[in-house]
Amino acid sequence: MSSTPPIERDSSGRFVKPETDTPNVPAHDDKVHPVGKLLFGWVEYPRIGMILLVGVIVALFAFILADVIYTDRHDYFHFAEATWFYAIWGLGAFSFAVLAGWPLGKLLRRDEDYYGEADTKPQDVEDGR
Amino acid sequence: MNAIFSAVNPGLLLIIAGLIGCLITHRRIRQAIMVIVPVLALVKLGFAERGVDMAVWSVLGMDLITYRVDNLNFIFGIAFLIASFLNAIYAMHTDDRLQDGMALTYAGAAVAATFAGDLMTLFIFWEITAVSSVFLILRAGTKAAYQAGMRYLGIQILSGVLLLDGLAYVYKDQGTLTLDVIGSFTSFDQPGAKFIFAAFAIKAAFPFLHNWLQDSYSKATVVGAVVLSAFTTKLAVYAFARMFPGFEILIYIGAVMTIFPVFFAVIENDLRKVLAYSLNNQLGFMIVAVGIGTPLALNGAAAHAFAHIIYKGLLFMSMGAVLYRVGTTKASELGGLWKSMPWTAVFCIIGAMSISAFPLFSGFVAKSLTMSAVAKEGYIVIWMMLLFASAGVLEHSGIKIPYFTFFGHDNGHRVKEAPFNMLLAMGLAAFICIAIGMPAIMPGFGFHVLYSMLPYPDVAFDYGKSVYSWGHIITQMQLLLAAILAFMLLKRFGLYPPERPGTILDTDWLYRKPGYAFFKWSGQMWAKVGPAMTAVAAGVAGRTFGRLEAAFSPRGSLARGGLVNVMAMWSAVLLGVVMLVVLLSRG
Repeated sequence: MSSTPPIERDSSGRFVKPETDTPNVPAHDDKVHPVGKLLFGWVEYPRIGMILLVGVIVALFAFILADVIYTDRHDYFHFAEATWFYAIWGLGAFSFAVLAGWPLGKLLRRDEDYYGEADTKPQDVEDGR
Repeated sequence: MNAIFSAVNPGLLLIIAGLIGCLITHRRIRQAIMVIVPVLALVKLGFAERGVDMAVWSVLGMDLITYRVDNLNFIFGIAFLIASFLNAIYAMHTDDRLQDGMALTYAGAAVAATFAGDLMTLFIFWEITAVSSVFLILRAGTKAAYQAGMRYLGIQILSGVLLLDGLAYVYKDQGTLTLDVIGSFTSFDQPGAKFIFAAFAIKAAFPFLHNWLQDSYSKATVVGAVVLSAFTTKLAVYAFARMFPGFEILIYIGAVMTIFPVFFAVIENDLRKVLAYSLNNQLGFMIVAVGIGTPLALNGAAAHAFAHIIYKGLLFMSMGAVLYRVGTTKASELGGLWKSMPWTAVFCIIGAMSISAFPLFSGFVAKSLTMSAVAKEGYIVIWMMLLFASAGVLEHSGIKIPYFTFFGHDNGHRVKEAPFNMLLAMGLAAFICIAIGMPAIMPGFGFHVLYSMLPYPDVAFDYGKSVYSWGHIITQMQLLLAAILAFMLLKRFGLYPPERPGTILDTDWLYRKPGYAFFKWSGQMWAKVGPAMTAVAAGVAGRTFGRLEAAFSPRGSLARGGLVNVMAMWSAVLLGVVMLVVLLSRG
């Protein structure tokens, strides 16, 4: 049976956003570097994931279209001259490498202290010993 | 005086300055030396005459050519010196005499080995790189670093011993160790070829010999990992390019090297270890190029090495800055650091785009030389493997490193931005990544700067006419964007493996678990059996000594006279027989 987070209201009866799974993150994050806000503040926009996804798809199709229009491309191998070749190879290769991580992780991952070397924090870090 | 100075290998300047640096307690003076000396060495190298033995030392009847610059080693030397300069800036926030001094000594040894004109000189500096670099691991001060340092030292010294064996065979066969006279190996049947190949293979981190790299770099100090990433492996690539160009087996070994680290990097949680696997993968491209051995391919190996030293150093610097501020580089404990370390994030992204070979970045103009050389020689399968590895590079270095550190799941770390000296070093490295990757809109600009330093500049410039062709840009962007799309889709549908803490087993498991267990068992067995065996040996030796003493001592039976003349005669006969045997065997 799945458990849903409790819906809470404040004293005025308005709904309160349930607590996230990132308890370390302060509710009012006033410690963000100003340059960070300027350069990367957009990553916190709620729908940024979908916007980026659409952007990448559009850009990819633009380059595929450019490949159709630009006919003067010469590859050393005939099969690589196919319009979709590089896109399909990139998509397939990346997906294969990542998906292989599931069985490989199960096969090869051991406890962090497997070799008795869990402590690898060097002395020259800021809060080093 | 000027003639003497110009005849000194620039690497020696760094070694001397590094050793002196170990003794200088005044931090600012020491750091000034660490920064200035590589610049002086760069200027000196810029004026060096090519193809001339500039320094020859006669030692024990052997001529050691300690300084010889040519088109192949020039670009490696330049890259090492730039890296040394950047590393010195990067290390300025620390006050560690030994680390500063050994970092410069290590860089100097790599530079000196690069400009060695004979195998013996190469061997000497090869060993100095091993001994000086281990301090960069040991200074981390942890038990894990100590153990990794010892393993590192053992395997590096083994590489040196193999090189020494190989050069002995070469000397016996050819009567010289001069690299120009020896030329390059074409077969394993040539005397010394196997030993020298194995020595280089260890330092180039070939498959099954690669574990020292991931083991040690991830446990080194913040500065140490940055320094280590630049020299040893690229020195090995240079050595292969010098002595084994066109050695076909390198093509297949290199191709395997580009593939297998991709899978380990996907599941590895420690991002410095991910970078070490990524380093392995990049070395594969260079080794393939050396194996192809054509002028275009050797240009590819050299260009890739140069670009790689800078962008890999930049990536290690950014992870070092994160480690310095946050105290960890474990992906499962990071995320959201753009809020605290935006400049580090920007530089990391530039390094990531360079290694992924995005147009306008150094990897784009460097890696394509190798890809074209492989395709031109008709190695279809190898070319497809390299294309697969290119998508893999984007996964582990292009996306995983910046995404899980600076973006992704915010772990709530609110730290200070990296120290200014670190940002300066990263900024300079990022500048180089972009500067040498830009189109050559005029001579001496953009990638022309890189291509002009390559072993075959004419071939490079000829190739350069098509490096920014629409066809090349379109195909590369298709590959990269499709791979990025794959990442987004896999993340969106929860198919991307989560970052989990843990130790990933690699082939080093063989000697760290069963191998160690065997030696431990042997030790225990010896502890049990040893005393009994020692007692038996002591008894036998004691009885033998007693009998000899009874016969030969002043109180012994032979000292009583009578046999002296006979003894003298037999001694003379035996001596004569020995001399005759020696004489005949020499003849």
